[in-house]
Amino acid sequence: MPIPETILAASGPRRSRLSHALTQNIGLALVVALLVACIILYCGLYIATQHRLPGGYELTSTLNNTMPLAFAALAQTLVVLTRGIDLSVGGVIDLTNAVAALTLMGGPVSTTIWTIAILGIGALCGLLNGVLVAVGRLQPILVTLSTLSIFQGIAIKILPQPGGAMPPGFTGVLANPNVPLSLIYIPLIGILWAIFRRTRLGVSVFAIGNDAMAASSHGISVKRTTILAYMLGGVASACAGLFLAANATAGDATTGDTYTLTSIVAAVLGGVSLFGGRGSGLGALFGAFVTVMVVNILFFAHIDPLYQTFYEGLFLLAAVIAANVIGQIVRRRR
Amino acid sequence: MTIAAVEAVDIGKAYGGVAALTKASFTAQAGEVHALVGENGAGKSTLIKIMGGRVRPDSGEIRIGGQAVSLNGPQAAHHLGAWTVFQELTLLPWMTVAENLLLQQEPRSSLGLISRQATLRDADALLARYGVMHIDPRALVEDISLAERQTVEIVRAVSHAPKILFLDEPTSSLVEREVEWLFGQIRRLREQGCSIVFTSHRWAEIRSIADRITIFRGGADVGTFTDIDEDEAVRLMTGRRVEALYPPLTPRPAAAPVMLEARSLSGPNLRQVSFALHQGEVLGVGGLAGHGHRELFRTVFGDAHASGGTLTVQGKEKKFRSPRAAIASGIALVPEDRKTEGLLLRMSVRDNASLAILKRLTRFGILKPQEERRAAQHVVDSLRVRTAGIGLAVGALSGGNQQKVLLGRWLETECQILLLYDVTRGVDVATKHEIYELVASLARSGHAILFYSSDAEELAHLCHRVLVMREGVVAAELHAPGITAEDIVSAAVRDHRAA
Amino acid sequence: MSAATTRKQPFLNRERRRILYAFLAGIILFIIGELVRPGFASPSGIRAILVVASFVGIVAAGQTFVILIGGIDLSVPWVLNAGAILMVTSSLGHDARAIPALALTLGMGAAVGALNGAGVALLGIPAVVMTLAMNGIMQGLTLGLSGGMTCTSCGAYAPPVVQAAVHHSFLGLPIVLWIWIAIIIVVSFLLAMTRFGRMTYTVGNNARASHLAGIHVSGVTIVLYALSGFFSALAGIMLVGFGGQAALGMGDPYLFQSIAAVVIGGVYILGGRGHYLGSVAGAISLTVLVSVLLAFNMPDYGRSIVYGVVILALLLLYGREEENG
Repeated sequence: MPIPETILAASGPRRSRLSHALTQNIGLALVVALLVACIILYCGLYIATQHRLPGGYELTSTLNNTMPLAFAALAQTLVVLTRGIDLSVGGVIDLTNAVAALTLMGGPVSTTIWTIAILGIGALCGLLNGVLVAVGRLQPILVTLSTLSIFQGIAIKILPQPGGAMPPGFTGVLANPNVPLSLIYIPLIGILWAIFRRTRLGVSVFAIGNDAMAASSHGISVKRTTILAYMLGGVASACAGLFLAANATAGDATTGDTYTLTSIVAAVLGGVSLFGGRGSGLGALFGAFVTVMVVNILFFAHIDPLYQTFYEGLFLLAAVIAANVIGQIVRRRR
Repeated sequence: MTIAAVEAVDIGKAYGGVAALTKASFTAQAGEVHALVGENGAGKSTLIKIMGGRVRPDSGEIRIGGQAVSLNGPQAAHHLGAWTVFQELTLLPWMTVAENLLLQQEPRSSLGLISRQATLRDADALLARYGVMHIDPRALVEDISLAERQTVEIVRAVSHAPKILFLDEPTSSLVEREVEWLFGQIRRLREQGCSIVFTSHRWAEIRSIADRITIFRGGADVGTFTDIDEDEAVRLMTGRRVEALYPPLTPRPAAAPVMLEARSLSGPNLRQVSFALHQGEVLGVGGLAGHGHRELFRTVFGDAHASGGTLTVQGKEKKFRSPRAAIASGIALVPEDRKTEGLLLRMSVRDNASLAILKRLTRFGILKPQEERRAAQHVVDSLRVRTAGIGLAVGALSGGNQQKVLLGRWLETECQILLLYDVTRGVDVATKHEIYELVASLARSGHAILFYSSDAEELAHLCHRVLVMREGVVAAELHAPGITAEDIVSAAVRDHRAA
Repeated sequence: MSAATTRKQPFLNRERRRILYAFLAGIILFIIGELVRPGFASPSGIRAILVVASFVGIVAAGQTFVILIGGIDLSVPWVLNAGAILMVTSSLGHDARAIPALALTLGMGAAVGALNGAGVALLGIPAVVMTLAMNGIMQGLTLGLSGGMTCTSCGAYAPPVVQAAVHHSFLGLPIVLWIWIAIIIVVSFLLAMTRFGRMTYTVGNNARASHLAGIHVSGVTIVLYALSGFFSALAGIMLVGFGGQAALGMGDPYLFQSIAAVVIGGVYILGGRGHYLGSVAGAISLTVLVSVLLAFNMPDYGRSIVYGVVILALLLLYGREEENG
């Protein structure tokens, strides 16, 4: 091919890879910094009150307490990236948790089959949401508010009283009380996210969150992508339900309720933009850890537990405002 | 006779009862560069959107390679080898240049996953192949300039080796050297047998690159030419002689007081801008898109904050913290995009017309419906807004009438200084003429008007002086009489990097 | 001229039609209830349902204000709850203290709402995050300051005048319904006939254009959120008047119900369109729906499911976005 006559030459050296990576992932960088600060503060408080370093037990229980929220935050992120919001996360967790309590009681084979079936239920819930949003052309917040009520109702119908006993093997794998086995789920989520981000679906989810019209003009199906994002979100919510059941070793059709709002909190802390198109599942994962660490810190700081939500609310506001300010400074300095 | 590469036959399209195209046709051959020219509002952009599969026509036929085709989306056009660079760019702002360039055709690793490394490498190679070395494929689209985005969008379209390439105003934000680059690309595609259809306002460019020209007026084509001089083309585009379109310029009074003065105004995309706007003066602002006009108007109106410099209104130094403060000082702004920044499209003509004078129309906070109706009716009557009634949603009016409502809103406020930002964009010729008359008469009655336009012709005919901006600086100041559109364009595109 | 200019605006435009639908839904549900359980739609039955609906309706007034500018108020539950507890603890059941207690409670609601508005308008925090955080803050403060409802004054009753306002009747209607009617008139007048109402709609339609037209967008936003907080607190007062005492968690049902009422009433969730009368219709229909389901002896879970299905059905009927909108 002949070289064109006019070349638009570079006027200076390009910015370094690192500088790009940092400014483009400022939300992720901030949540990691926040998490590190939380861990240091936690350890400090722990040493001051218990006169020793936190050990394996603290690590295990923190991990096990965080995993349900981590998956819920991931579910929320998948939907928020498409410029939606999923208020039914808590309902799906209730429902899958209830089904788990009812079905997970046999041997490893039946447990495995039912676990997969429960993930399928999550996908179906997401499918319903996605179809109503994409094909029904309803606002996500209204759709998921309504399905939240439906899923919660079904969950209570299935499991009117808390109960069921999780098989030890199931608990041992998902929320082992003795060893910090859950540690492996963090890199696992990281890898899954990295894979997702490198699939056509992952790119499409980000693209429609950026600009649905522009994305569709490049051949991305907005409807299909939206539905799949909600379905994947449903699967992640179902994971949260399973981990929650494992950690509690029993089922309860109402414990999932709080996850609707905390999943939003974790995602926002993780740098996911509620306006869509920006954010990362990894950030949401770290956001979930920050959310749980804050509760731990309040505990060891001897804060009256009655005031817990007060400080959580203040912390959320402070973190969001700080992220705004730092984000603006970074943009201006470029 | 060979089969045409692409044909539009009697295309018609209406939006909400307002016709954008009535019977628009053109034919482009393979290996031909075909220019579509016409005024703002003649329907060129709509036609390009239809040809690109973005918008479905109400009537008419599109033929590609002699076959009638139905384009139910840009994808359908792509399959037929037709690629389009729309005026509203379709880049994804929070993704990188590389991701945008290779969207939907990302290179895969051996595991079948998209490889970011390879995406960057391919994007870099792609940009280099087309001689674009100044854009970093790692940068986010929102962080690069308008001209760079335009360039990326062009590279993306060209990289598909199109058989037909549609470009809607591809040069509107490009400086001279970038235009030269684009024309190099277009010539190369022409040699390869591609058919290129583009729209432009810059006559010199059209002359230098187009093989044939189709002229549009009021939603229909009025003729295709291989050789036509500018006067004749303008006559065909406007349906009247140029002199008749613009009112005669009344010289401004010699000793008129300064109404608005900016000294070394600086801010984002704005560097050391100084000017004085006198009573009875129309001060034009021109230049390429993205070179600081928008920021200048926003800063003067208190919508953006200056990082340096001073602003003086009628002799008093002002620091506007919000548009409200500017309005209180007798300044009004008709913004760039009347649909997103000016009007409340779903609300009535009445609500839109009375918005800036609500305070006057209320007692103890309660609206006086009689007076509000009277004020709105006054806007409709005095500006001859064509509407079925003041209760109609303003979004249902034609572009020209919408603009009149917006202008009328401000004229009710008795403001002294008017900032008009591209007020004739997307407005029909008849309304344009009315707006020109209005601007001239407002100046005569003592208003001071700062007038930005993307149409150099308009600036040349309407303004006492024209400031040409480039990269946030006033690059030239031209004085009437004797300003020509060419003067303005050449001052705007003179590229300091080219040498 | 073009066709658009000759088109007349029909009297029953989309918005008015939606309000009508919401009221019709309420009437049909009353009829169904009467068929299932005779006496359901008797004057006293209707009165009882309307009293319950008025609590939802009062919260929905605030929610209408913020949704009209494309916002949302998730802090309703604990502002309401805090209001209820503040009312009893500050009045201690004495009529003499009723007036200052009312002022204090309503002022608290408005102040908390104003903070919400300030966060949204001045700090640019998304409304969902701001009001969610505020709900947590109010919950923590309420629980902490009341010692988890263990404080001695927490068990106090609402002043008799407040209880009387809910339970006593005037001209055959419970006084609380007169209060609601007054609110309906004032809010509707405020939205339709005042400069403030007009600004609310313009901001909801297009905040950017309003700003450039000289509207004090952040000021309007703050006042609207303050109004939402005010109405939440007022509902809290009404509820302690109704039940006599405050309880923890009494505000929880009102978040979902207030949003549902507003949406069923045809207020557009992204702002700019809708009327309080629609929210009123929505509040009544929802309350009748719950009562009908109770008449069917529908258990809790069934009500929850039907609730969601009905809202979805109504939305599919008339709440759909335009294609490519």
